[in-house]
Order: sequence, then structure tokens, then C-alpha cells
Amino acid sequence: MSAIEIHNLAKTFGALKAVDGVSFTVEAGSVTGYLGPNGAGKTTTLRCLLGLVTPDSGEALVGGRRYTTLPQPVTEVGAVLEATSFHPGRTARNHLRILCTAAGLPVQRADEALEQVGLAEAADKRVLGFSLGMRQRLALASALLGRPKVYILDEPANGLDPAGIEWLRGFLRHLAHDQGAAVLVSSHVLPEVEQTVDNVVIIAKGRLVRQGTLAELTTNGEPAVRVRAAKAAELAPALEAAGARVEPAEDGLLRVHGLDSGAVGQVALDQRVALSELTPERSDLQKIFLELTEGR
Amino acid sequence: MIGLVKAELQKLFTTRLWWIMLLVMLVLVGVNLGLFIGFAGVSQNGAPALPERDTVEWARMAWSAGADGNVFAMILGVVMMTAEYRYQTITGTFLTTPRRGRVIVAKLVGGLLVGLLFGLGALVFEAVVVIPTVLISGGEFSPAAWHIPQTGLGIIATFALYALFGIGLGTLVRNQVAGIVGAVVWSYVIERILVAIPALQPVGRWLPGGAAQSLLSIDVDTGLGRPELLPAWGGALVLAGYAVIFALVASATTVRRDIT
Repeated sequence: MSAIEIHNLAKTFGALKAVDGVSFTVEAGSVTGYLGPNGAGKTTTLRCLLGLVTPDSGEALVGGRRYTTLPQPVTEVGAVLEATSFHPGRTARNHLRILCTAAGLPVQRADEALEQVGLAEAADKRVLGFSLGMRQRLALASALLGRPKVYILDEPANGLDPAGIEWLRGFLRHLAHDQGAAVLVSSHVLPEVEQTVDNVVIIAKGRLVRQGTLAELTTNGEPAVRVRAAKAAELAPALEAAGARVEPAEDGLLRVHGLDSGAVGQVALDQRVALSELTPERSDLQKIFLELTEGR
Repeated sequence: MIGLVKAELQKLFTTRLWWIMLLVMLVLVGVNLGLFIGFAGVSQNGAPALPERDTVEWARMAWSAGADGNVFAMILGVVMMTAEYRYQTITGTFLTTPRRGRVIVAKLVGGLLVGLLFGLGALVFEAVVVIPTVLISGGEFSPAAWHIPQTGLGIIATFALYALFGIGLGTLVRNQVAGIVGAVVWSYVIERILVAIPALQPVGRWLPGGAAQSLLSIDVDTGLGRPELLPAWGGALVLAGYAVIFALVASATTVRRDIT
């Protein structure tokens, strides 16, 4: 049984098909990125999973059960939704203590969670004065209260500064890889999660467009080699003669398809052209992401 | 369930609004009492005067002055619900307790308790003002003659139920400002008119305000004639009926709604 299972989920708001037949699973011990442009249906999927929105059809299960039937949900699932969901006049500690009381957890979990996200010093400050980054940390603290094994985070990197994003990446990897949690994290900004996720699920206009491991997605594209040489104009015809397709880029730079870097180097040696750069180009996720989601 | 009720009370008492409301309520009750004290025994333009300060009638009337504070209990009820939508804390609340019916029950119980506390606050304040006033004016302190048990119970019960009405109203409108304005307009304008004007009393006595007044057995001629209210037990039944209706409305509108 997967930690998170989504089967043929569909939800319509008025005339808008927000989610249209989405299925995927998230396994324990891994971080899955749920990616798509704004308005793709990510948030609706996550809210269906958390029992906040009732789907029209399909199922969204955590540990094989619907969220609303879990006896002690915060001890099984930690969720971070929008960063604004705090009463501005309440202190961070009180916010967490109320959740502890409602969930039947010991109140010291509030202080422990604040410590874990690095907010211990702001515990008695009212949320009113918090930066967006601090609010995100507080939201994460509320997800940690019950020490769950499944984490569901909606755009958790929004509003974090670069140091905060780096911290979040490390934290999510720690939860998944060291503590064996299943982490599902949504984002519309790829670089935020690219270095964190093990698996990727891409959604656009409510429909799933691709899913797989990060490695599968990044090696699927046609490989290319970046070649830079002062005498690029002499090199290009020789490469084409060797069977490559050459795409001239800015001055001196060529993108070569159909030959690996070793073969390109051999052609350059044969032509006695000095190279200043020879790089196999990893087909990057950002490009795939744009290709997959554009025009849909 | 006890934890959920406790959490609801914590939500209210970890923000500032409750003591601001308590203060404003005490000021309002204080102004009412001040008017009763100032105009006791004064006759204006031949209209019947308020009783003298040392009389049992004056004490009974002054003792019921706290009833006006019930609107603050209602506003707190409105806020207990609408603040969740206004600040989207409803998301965290339902994530913690996905069985929403339990959240609503906890809020209603919490609201009843808060209303009860506010009613007690009003009564203590009245005691501090009314008893010395009567004694200084040469009257005698007599809880039974002043109808303190009945008035006290009536005030506490109406405060508690009005807090509950507020929660019901809050689930219906969800907008905090609209809810508060609705509560004030309802209890200060619509109910006042329907309860105070004799011709409208056949309607007014069936409203929460009219029913609450019958609980207090305020038998004072305000110049428009004595009010024709339900008997006290009838008023209690009507109020309980409203409480059930509001509680049902609260859960029916909340349990299945999508939180987006």
C-alpha cells in the first residue's frame, strides 16, 4: 500500500474542471514533486486529499483511508497549506497550543516544533509581525506537531528567502530519507524543488501530463552536447559530415545532437580545431516542464 | 470532545477581542444603571416617574439593566465562527478535526460557556452598583423581593443562548463585518421595535428578545403600556427552540461545504 494514493480524482467548480481524472501514488521514504503552472489543479488535488474539498468522483487516500475517517489525523498526516491561515493577534506558541489541545497532543509539542523550524525565539510574538518566511515556518511547525509519517505541502517555498529555501530542501530530504516519511510537495517554480524531489508528477489544466522519477524525466529528452570553439564555423560542417545535427547558438557556441561528447572531441581533433568547451547537456527539467505544460 | 471545547475557548481567550467586548458591555450596562440612578423619582412633563431608589421596584428594574449586554455575547458568538473564515484558520481547524460536526458542537458548547461568563460578569457588576445605591438611599437589600434569582438566571441563560445565536449567524453569513452588523441591527433595532410597541408585541414576544424579556419578568411601564409577553416558561421554551434551530443551521451549512 502506498502512503498516498490518488485514483481518477475529478473535481469541477462551476464550469471549471479543476482536476480531471488524476491518478498517482507517493511512496514512503521519498519526496514527490507535484508540479504545474498556477491554476493547474494542484491545490484542489491536495485539498481533496485532506478532506477539505469533496471530489466529484475518484478517491484520494492516505495510508489507504480517506482523511476524514482517520481517527487521529495530525499524527498521520502533516499538512502545510496557504501561509496566511493564522489569526494575526495570536502568538505563534498559542496558535500551536490550540492545535495541540484540539488534537489531544501534549502542549510541549508546540515548543518542540517551534524549535525544530527555528522559530523558538519568536514563540511569544504575535503573528501580525511575522514575515512571509516566518509564517511558512510556523505552518510547517503545525504540520510537525503530531510527528506524522506523511507530509503534504502546498507551495511551501513561497515567500522564503534563498537561505530559507535551502533550509526547507534539507528539511524535506531529512523527513523522507532519514525518517522514512512520504513527502508530497507542490510547486509552480521548478528550481525550488528540482534538487529535492525523487519523483515528479506534472499536471496542467487539471490533467496529468507526466510522472516518473526525476532521473527518468531528465534523460528522456534528446541528448545534446555544447561545444565552444573560436573556429566554430570550420567545425560545424565536419560534425554534420559525421552525422550530427548542429544548432548554432551564440558566437562560437554550437549545440550538437546525435553525437556524444567523445565523438565530437574526435571530430575536433581530426579537424585540428581547438575547443574551449565540451559539455554533455543534461536535458533539464525546466525545459521539459515548459514543453509539457505550454499550449495545453 | 472536552479537548475541542477547550481549544475553542483558547481560541477566544488568546486574542484580545473578548476583554474589549467585556469592557464595552460593562460600560453600556453602567450607562443604563447611571440613567436609572439619575432619573429615579424624577417626573418629566407629567410622565410617570421611575420609582425612588430605595424601593423594591427600582431595585428590580435596575437589576434587569444587564440584559442589554446580551448583544455582546451574540457578537462574540459571531466572531468565534467568522474569525475562522476571515483568517482561514478554518483550514487548520478542519485538518485537526475533519469530522466537522464535532467542531460545530465544540463551538456551540464553548459559546454557551462564554455567554454564561459574560452574563455572570454583568450580574457581578450590577451587584456592585445596585446594592450600595439602594443601601445608601436608605432601602433594604432583599434578594428574594428584588427577584434576583429569576433575573439572574434569566440574564445568564439569555447571554448563553445569544452567544449560540451568534455562532449560528456566523456560519450563515461567514463574513465577520456582516455578521456583527446583523447582530447589532437585529437586537438593537428590529427586536426593540417589535418588542416595545404594543401593537407589534404579538410578533415580538415570539422573537428571542421578547422571549428573553419574559424570562426576566420585567414588568415596567415604559409609557407605552405594560408589555404583553409570554410566561417565563414559554419564553424559556422559545429560546431553547431558537437555540436548536441555530445549532442545526450551523452544522448543516458547514459540514459539507468545500474549504478552498
